[in-house]
Amino acid sequence: MSRFIEPLAVGRVIGEVVDNFIPSVKLNVTYNSNKQVSNGHELMPAVIAAKPRVEIGGEDMRAAYTLVMTDPDAPSPSDAYLREHLHWIVTDIPGTTDASFGREVVSYETPKPVIGIHRYVFILFKQRARHSVSPPASRDQFNTRSFAEENGLGLPVAAVYFNAQRETACRNR
Amino acid sequence: MACASTSASATWNMTPLRSALPSIHAPSSASSVHFSTGPSSSRLKLSRSKPSSKLLHSFVGLAPIHPLLSLASPDSTSFEHCFTVIDNGGRFFAMRHGRRVPKLNRPPDQRRALLRALTTQLLKHGRIKTTRSRASAMRKYVDKMVTLAKDGSLHKRRQALGFIYEKEIVHALFAEVEERYGDRNGGYTRIIRTLPRRGDNAPMAYIELV
Repeated sequence: MSRFIEPLAVGRVIGEVVDNFIPSVKLNVTYNSNKQVSNGHELMPAVIAAKPRVEIGGEDMRAAYTLVMTDPDAPSPSDAYLREHLHWIVTDIPGTTDASFGREVVSYETPKPVIGIHRYVFILFKQRARHSVSPPASRDQFNTRSFAEENGLGLPVAAVYFNAQRETACRNR
Repeated sequence: MACASTSASATWNMTPLRSALPSIHAPSSASSVHFSTGPSSSRLKLSRSKPSSKLLHSFVGLAPIHPLLSLASPDSTSFEHCFTVIDNGGRFFAMRHGRRVPKLNRPPDQRRALLRALTTQLLKHGRIKTTRSRASAMRKYVDKMVTLAKDGSLHKRRQALGFIYEKEIVHALFAEVEERYGDRNGGYTRIIRTLPRRGDNAPMAYIELV
C-alpha cells in the first residue's frame, strides 16, 4: 500500500491537494491509447490535449465514482495564487468501467502550462449516492478538500499525477 | 617565521639590520616552519631542530630564505632561493578525501555562473528539471538566497542582487518570503528524482521550492 502513496507524498499531492488516504481502487489513466500516466512522469502538452481514457477498478458496477482533475500549480508553481485550477469532473462512473460511462459535470479543459512545470492530479472519490455531486462555481481557486466535503465524498480512493511544461520550454539540451 | 642562517661576511654591516629583523638564534632551539593556507587540508608542518651552532648555507627547508638576508651572502646572487617550488599547488594530499565542494565538471568561474543561473531560474519558475548532481549542488545557494530575503535589510538585498541575475526576481522574493517561509527554518527546496534523460541517460531530478 505504501508503494502507491509514497510518490504522491513525495510530490506533495498528499498535503497540498488531498489528505493522507489509503488507495483502495485501481486507477489507470491513458492518453492517446499508449501514454499511461505514472506518478511524477512528464508528458508533452500535445499528448494531453485530448481527454484521456480513465479506467477504474472497484468491486462492482453498482458503486459510483467521481473523478476530479486539477492543477495545483496554477498559474505558476512558484506563486500559485489560483491554486487549484480545475480541469475535469466526471461523476457517476460505474465501478470497473471507464470514465466515458460517467456524466461529465465539468468538461475537459486542455492543460496549458505557461510558467514552470505543473503537476496535474487525477483524484478518484467514491460516491455515496448517485447524482449527489454538483459542479463548482468557477474553475479557479478550486479546493479539492472542500469540494469533497460539500458533496459528501470523504477521502479519495485513488490518485495519480503527472508533470507537464510548455512545449517550447528549455529542456534536454 | 622563516629561519635562515647566513654568515656575517660580505658587503654590509649586519648588526643594525639583524637587530631590526626577527631574531635568528639558531643553535639551541628547534625551528619550525608553518604554512597555514586556510581550513582545507593542505597543512604543511615541518619541524626540525638545528643540530649545531654552525651557521650553514645548506638546506633550510621549504621556507624562502629571507631576501634581505640572502642578498648579503655571497653565493646567492640569483632570486631562485626566494621562491618555494611545490608543483602540486600547495596540496599535501593527492586524493579527494573529505572535500565536499561539487565541481560539476566545470572550472570555478563557470561553476559559479551555472549555479547562479540555476537558482535564478528556480526562483523564477518554482520548479525546474535538471540533473541530480546540479539539483543537489543548488540547494545550498537557494537556501542562502531565501535566508538573505528573510533578513530583509538593504545590505542583504544588495548581496542578493549581486548573485541573482534578474532584479525583479530579487524584489519579488524579498516581498513574498515573509508569508511563504516565515515559519520554516531552512530546507526551502525539495528534490524529486525522476527518469533519466533520453540523450545521455543522465539521472534527472525536479527541484522545487517547498
